Amino acid sequence: MKCDYCEIVEQKTNASILYEDSDTLIVVKDMVLTPGQITVIPKQHFTIVEMIPPKLLQKCSLLANKVSIASFDTLGIQGTNIIIQNGLAGGQKVPHVALEIIPRKENDTLPLQWQPKPLSEVDLETTFTALQDELKREHKQQPATPEENSQLQQPSSESTSQPSSKPKESPAPDSYLLKSLKRLP
Amino acid sequence: MPEMTEEQRKALEEKIKNMSPEQLAELQKQQCIFCQIISKKIPSKIIHEDEHSLSILDINPAAKGHILILPKIHYAIMPQLPDPLIGHLFIIAQQMSQLQLRSLKVSGTNIFIANGLAAGQRAQHFLIHVIPRKEGDNLLGAEEKLLDKTYQQNIAQAIQGRLNELLGIPNQTPQESLPESLELSSPPPTPSIPAQPEQPLSSPSPLPQTSAQSISPKKIKKPKESSPEESEPSTRPKESVSLDDIANLFK
Repeated sequence: MKCDYCEIVEQKTNASILYEDSDTLIVVKDMVLTPGQITVIPKQHFTIVEMIPPKLLQKCSLLANKVSIASFDTLGIQGTNIIIQNGLAGGQKVPHVALEIIPRKENDTLPLQWQPKPLSEVDLETTFTALQDELKREHKQQPATPEENSQLQQPSSESTSQPSSKPKESPAPDSYLLKSLKRLP
Repeated sequence: MPEMTEEQRKALEEKIKNMSPEQLAELQKQQCIFCQIISKKIPSKIIHEDEHSLSILDINPAAKGHILILPKIHYAIMPQLPDPLIGHLFIIAQQMSQLQLRSLKVSGTNIFIANGLAAGQRAQHFLIHVIPRKEGDNLLGAEEKLLDKTYQQNIAQAIQGRLNELLGIPNQTPQESLPESLELSSPPPTPSIPAQPEQPLSSPSPLPQTSAQSISPKKIKKPKESSPEESEPSTRPKESVSLDDIANLFK
């Protein structure tokens, strides 16, 4: 089965394209939560958000913000949600990561709200410990996985080893993820 | 927040009117619970902290392990944020999502932003939610509908001009000129936060200017270069078993 978003990227579907460059696409899809919803799609097929190279995710996030502002200015709405649904359980329908910008109006009754559940002190503490243990484990074992993905621009040929090895030793900007990991509490 | 009487409200309004921007920012900071969390005046469960952001456990979560990512500087709404900061916060969101998948036995996450009261924004401090999701948890469960083609085109038409403006694309030449203009290119290794932190982060200047700093419209690439990026399955990152499992659920 072909991925729906890859089909949009290959322009085999009816999605209206608002913007396109070499690695991203902004479209009005036909399957939406509410009319006016706009989708930012990285062209390359990444199933879940963990797999997308950080640089590309950054770019998509900036595009999503612009779409959100443009929606505010033109669609007569009072708010927007920017959502990444990640994994089947996260409500993701197409196995291709994308950012959805959803227009909101007062009392539109879209079920994009949740009832906060106060957590007991114990629950909070165990959750916190679970997260921290994982952070410590990650910190010990490897320099965070996202760096491995940062070879977005030239995956093949010439610069094969360069982008992936760089973040690990140089103080180049790429390594800020590493730096921030070291600063973890 | 406690209700104010009419006079109290009027007095406050008057006071605010006479304040300098600096005083106003200071007042905002004192009033904002998240600013107090950031300055550690209010304790919180900190998952991650760096120069520009703080990630904490939400104490009134949608689900156990719900994380809030806060920019350290007070911004009320997303359009005020400088581009490099938005990019940075999304990278942190990606890491937090991964952390949840790996440690909380959940099989999905949502990265969620609410802009405006109508969208469910309850905090006066911009933040990103990262919410762990489980099958059947009934959170954020909206159904998709098929949108009529004409409607689709009307929306595209309504927004196209303004979007082009925001992206710095001249409106008179629509489709053909789009592909090259927004390239995030490799030569300058990263236009990300640490490279130029002070300027863009400290000044909440309007968007059109700041946008130029991380997305350079001058960088023009030949469209041909895009092909290797799109087609290489070999660049698929090696992920831990658990992440692959989650991705594989789709197959």
